[in-house]
Amino acid sequence: MKLEDCKVVFAAVGLIGVLILASPTLGLVLRLPGGEKFSELWVLGPGHMAEDYPFNVTAGVSYLVYVGVGNHMGSSTYYVVFVKFRNETEPLPNATTGVPSVLAPLYEYRVFLEDGGNSDVPLAFSFSNVSFSGDQSTVGGLTINGVPFIVGKSVSWDAENSGYFYQLFMELWIYDPASNGFSFHNRFVSRWLNMTASV
Amino acid sequence: MLKRVLRASVSFLLVLALAGLLSRYVFVVRGADEASSSVGEADVAVRQAFNATLDAERAGANVSGLILRLNEAGGILAEAEMALGNGNSSEAASKAVQCVEIAESVKSDADVLKASALDEAQTVFWASLTFSVVGIAVFVVVLMLVWCWFKRGHVEKMLGMKPEVSADEA
Repeated sequence: MKLEDCKVVFAAVGLIGVLILASPTLGLVLRLPGGEKFSELWVLGPGHMAEDYPFNVTAGVSYLVYVGVGNHMGSSTYYVVFVKFRNETEPLPNATTGVPSVLAPLYEYRVFLEDGGNSDVPLAFSFSNVSFSGDQSTVGGLTINGVPFIVGKSVSWDAENSGYFYQLFMELWIYDPASNGFSFHNRFVSRWLNMTASV
Repeated sequence: MLKRVLRASVSFLLVLALAGLLSRYVFVVRGADEASSSVGEADVAVRQAFNATLDAERAGANVSGLILRLNEAGGILAEAEMALGNGNSSEAASKAVQCVEIAESVKSDADVLKASALDEAQTVFWASLTFSVVGIAVFVVVLMLVWCWFKRGHVEKMLGMKPEVSADEA
């Protein structure tokens, strides 16, 4: 082996050694970009599984689902989940334009999560003042986790799917510390509910 | 005379009743306004507590305990807002006060955690910098010594070699 070749090997070993020894300090100074930032929102049935969701509902009976939120935003995050209730003519959030539903929220959850953390909270609901007249059904009241709300919503009989369909949906909003305000995080989950006189 | 006294009394009672009704309305409106402003203050307090927690986290502090308490404050704030929406001003105001207490304690703890995390981070930084600088210096000196020793050995080996002449058989 020539002396010049040995010199190159020594220089390479020296450079690698210097980088290894500098790495503890470089690790503190350099901030590498993290992975993709996103949040999760889900709804599970009463057994914490994606099954046995309430569908045929009636007045005076309590139903249970679980609403979950997951944080992968790279830092602790402050979320609000708004629970809304609609009939088939009222608007859902628009996922394409990222615009939330104009309906006023009934119930809300405020959730703080560390990065990588998740939380699921119970959503127990029941209906009251439900009436049927002709081909119309009206829901007067909705109680969520023991808090009563006056909803006063009506739907017509859906002949195609054979039912009176209402929709319970949850929107995810996120707090932005820079603007000190909340914005719709373009995520929502929903459950169709068929109102019946008796199950 | 009696009629006039009676009429004046009735008028006085009517005015009194009207004033009573109005004052009740004023009290209810004022109660709702106060509850609304308390809930607004609680909302701001929770945001400030979260901002302080985020700052502490960015400084390197473990904020798990603070997040737990923020969840408690957030739950109470949600209850206060729903009570306000349902017209239950007294419950909304009382929940808002509870929420502000927790949020303020979280904020002050977050500030303390941030300060201690910054101190710790500074100590760790100087320790790492010292390790890196001293380590690199020692490594470079040792490498140079090894290189000099290797180079001398290589040169001596080259000088100690005898030239060989090979005969051309052809």
